[in-house]
Amino acid sequence: MDEPMNDGVARERVEELFCAALEWTDPDKRRRFLDHACAGDPPLRCSVEAMLAAQSNFEKNFSLHRPALASGFPIPQVRGDLPDLGEGAGTIPPLEEEVGKRIGAFKLLQKIGEGGCGSVYMAEQELPVRRRVALKIIKLGMDTKNVIARFEAERQALAMMDHPNIARVLDAGATETGRPFFVMELVRGVKITTYCDENRLDARQRLELFTHICHAIQHAHQKGIIHRDIKPSNVLVTMHDGVPVPKVIDFGIAKAIEGKLTDQTLFTTCEQFVGTPAYMSPEQAGMSGLDVDTRSDIYSLGVLLYELLTSKTPFDQQELLQSGLDEMRRTLREREPHRPSTKLDGLRGEDLTQTAICRQVEPRRLKLLLRGDLDWMVMKALEKDRQRRYQTANGLAMDIQRYLGNEPVIARPPSRLYRFQKLVHRNRAVFLGVGAVSVTLLAGLGTSSWLFVREREASSNEARLHAEAEDRAEIAQAALLINRGKLEEADQLVSQIQIPVTEPSLEAAGVFRRLGDWNTTQNRWPAAADRYLKLLQANQVDKSDLTDEATRDLLRTGPTLLVAGSVTNYHQFVRETIARFASTRNPVAAEQVIKISLIVPTDAVTLKSLEPLASVMEQSIVVPNSSANEEDYMLAWRALALTLFEYRRGDYTNAIVWGRKCLGYSDSRPTCIAMSHLILAMAFSQTHQRVDARSELILGRGLVDPKFPNGRQRITDPGSETSGLWHDWVMARILLQEATASVEGARMTVR
Amino acid sequence: MSDVTLILQAVGRGADEAPEELLPMVYEELRRLAAARMAHESAGHTLQPTALVHEAWLRMVRDDHRTWINRAYFFAAAAEAMRRILIEHARRKSALKHGGGQERLNIDDLELAEATRDEKLLLVDEGLAELSVAHPERARVVVLKYFGGMTNQEVAETIGISARTVNRHWLCAQAWLFERIQIQLQRFF
Repeated sequence: MDEPMNDGVARERVEELFCAALEWTDPDKRRRFLDHACAGDPPLRCSVEAMLAAQSNFEKNFSLHRPALASGFPIPQVRGDLPDLGEGAGTIPPLEEEVGKRIGAFKLLQKIGEGGCGSVYMAEQELPVRRRVALKIIKLGMDTKNVIARFEAERQALAMMDHPNIARVLDAGATETGRPFFVMELVRGVKITTYCDENRLDARQRLELFTHICHAIQHAHQKGIIHRDIKPSNVLVTMHDGVPVPKVIDFGIAKAIEGKLTDQTLFTTCEQFVGTPAYMSPEQAGMSGLDVDTRSDIYSLGVLLYELLTSKTPFDQQELLQSGLDEMRRTLREREPHRPSTKLDGLRGEDLTQTAICRQVEPRRLKLLLRGDLDWMVMKALEKDRQRRYQTANGLAMDIQRYLGNEPVIARPPSRLYRFQKLVHRNRAVFLGVGAVSVTLLAGLGTSSWLFVREREASSNEARLHAEAEDRAEIAQAALLINRGKLEEADQLVSQIQIPVTEPSLEAAGVFRRLGDWNTTQNRWPAAADRYLKLLQANQVDKSDLTDEATRDLLRTGPTLLVAGSVTNYHQFVRETIARFASTRNPVAAEQVIKISLIVPTDAVTLKSLEPLASVMEQSIVVPNSSANEEDYMLAWRALALTLFEYRRGDYTNAIVWGRKCLGYSDSRPTCIAMSHLILAMAFSQTHQRVDARSELILGRGLVDPKFPNGRQRITDPGSETSGLWHDWVMARILLQEATASVEGARMTVR
Repeated sequence: MSDVTLILQAVGRGADEAPEELLPMVYEELRRLAAARMAHESAGHTLQPTALVHEAWLRMVRDDHRTWINRAYFFAAAAEAMRRILIEHARRKSALKHGGGQERLNIDDLELAEATRDEKLLLVDEGLAELSVAHPERARVVVLKYFGGMTNQEVAETIGISARTVNRHWLCAQAWLFERIQIQLQRFF
């Protein structure tokens, strides 16, 4: 055989990368390293992978220094309950050419399946143990060496998978004619959809079966394996003592075959294989080369669940294939599928009847059954943006179990605002890419330093991905604990998470918000401040101007930081908030940002930066927007914000004007009234109107003090819009301290 | 490398060449050990070359009159000796299995998955012969590491190259050898 490359320099480079790649023992890390190091140079990659495969084969087969020379990883126990197929010889379909033939150590016994890209045989292995296995032979002329090399790269991780609902992939090799094949644990079962329909499983039974699949996928994800091709034909159901056991097959195979969605592979030869379009996640369908992570499997699980419930996939496979590649991508990335319950409306009469019969309900009841929780759970798994999906397979399973146990589920219908934003941002917002590696900067460096930098990049990227995955798992765990009321434990868990690492996700935001709130009720203000800061970072999914939750989060964070004594963090937080909302034209957002920013005295720069927001509000009061249908209490809040703004910048006269105006509105909230009294008190005090100052202070204190008996730091309940929300009361209390100091001449403290 | 007192008699000679008189000595010692060991092993499959080499080393340095032996020389010689012993052993057994008389391994009826350890050893050795033409230094690394069970550091000091280079040679040689063997066994892969 020739050397991998004739060019000596090129071979040097191949060997260098080969040795560097071997530094990574974890297959996923190694793959990522190669992704970086060989980016844009597929032949280089091939050569390196070939060397890796050869080296690992050498070690596996020829090592003198290990006691066991048996090939591959530990072989699972052969199960005694596999039926002997010799007896059913009469029913074996006509012999194909290949049946009876030997491939490596395997003798083909019977063809048991055929797909677009390969055939599956039952085969007999004689050594090292006699057993029956499934042999999947890939049909098309794929680059066998690379297929096997990619398989080898993941072999270690595959070997670590050990789960009753996962069929093991044992080995890979090539036939004499050079076609790659995979050896798998033989599973004698039927497609899950067929099983469910033939046995008329009702929705509950289907959901229960489905949670087992989620757990299998979770197990694989924890071992670092992404399936990439979850679909009914890869989930078989076998019976064990009369109990159906789903088995996920083909782990590691999609990866080895490396289904890149190109026109060629998809439409000429291999529609079955490179991920089946109907089950493919938007990021898999994308051309961006964006990394596919475990959440891609969550999407495919969502499609599977959709089909188990409705008998249809969200998008029709045939339509997808016929629409052409670009259109297909567009559909997967942009088109919103029908919810399961509405999908049923599209079924023809007999289809619907049949679907319902298979699920043992009347058609009308099936629709009612799906509507609500099941709809939202499926849609959450099918989110285009993976940050909005369930973050782990366990998360999905847990929600299903909650549903089955009649507990409230986490999945919620998307807010109207979110749906609107999706409409607007669809083309940009789908993928939040991982930072691109800047290659050009490195072009001038020599090989070895180039390699060094690449390695470092790969490993820091690696570290980040790893940390993110861990955070996701911890968040999911915390969500579960919160759901069970174990807030202390949940809080303990998330206290480890480092701020810059957390990836935006709604689940994470929910967890941090809940734990921040809980910490305030426990009087643990620094911890609460920490959770809220993480919340703000985790909640950047909607990069919107304003959502109720987003600004409520700001209203929580500001006062909490001050009570916690984190004055520096508070000012930092204020600067970021102002920067984010500086250009808003929305008076409600403007009002809230001003309020949050001016709880304590601030510098001239901050005040200057708030001027545009103040004028937005002033405009809205002076020239009311009749169509906005704004109520008096909202205008009162705006007047309050202007009072505060004028007071902070030293325009006491205007502050008093706005303060009086604020108190003039009917239906104002008690928190708003209390705060305006307190700011007025300070404004009068500054202008030496001592009598007015004192009486305003007494009025304000009369409202605030009763809310904080016995030195408590917050009201025990969350409060409400009309009685005042807890964080507004906290803000009022901070103002009360300042006002007291101002009027009574005592030293002002923040706490 | 070693806290054993080393007396270097053959000063100036490259450490990669063990003194000629050393090889027969080590060879005898190892053979004795291997024979004793194999008498106790049922299938003769569990010969641990590394353990044997180290045991031989301990025996030989215990004998006072042999303290002149440089550890690096010893291991270089032991590795070569070990290779010969293992290959001879494998040939003999393979010949027996195939009805005797065959000098070379008949690879036509050999499948890697079914190959015995002895057959595999012979395959490696044949590849090694080719490697010693294509990359002599790598072939030397293979002998020292594979048959001699030396660490990278030990190999490095024996040959006089860096441990990093040793590692690279070793890894590349493994890939190279497997590809050679794969070609020999056309039916595998």
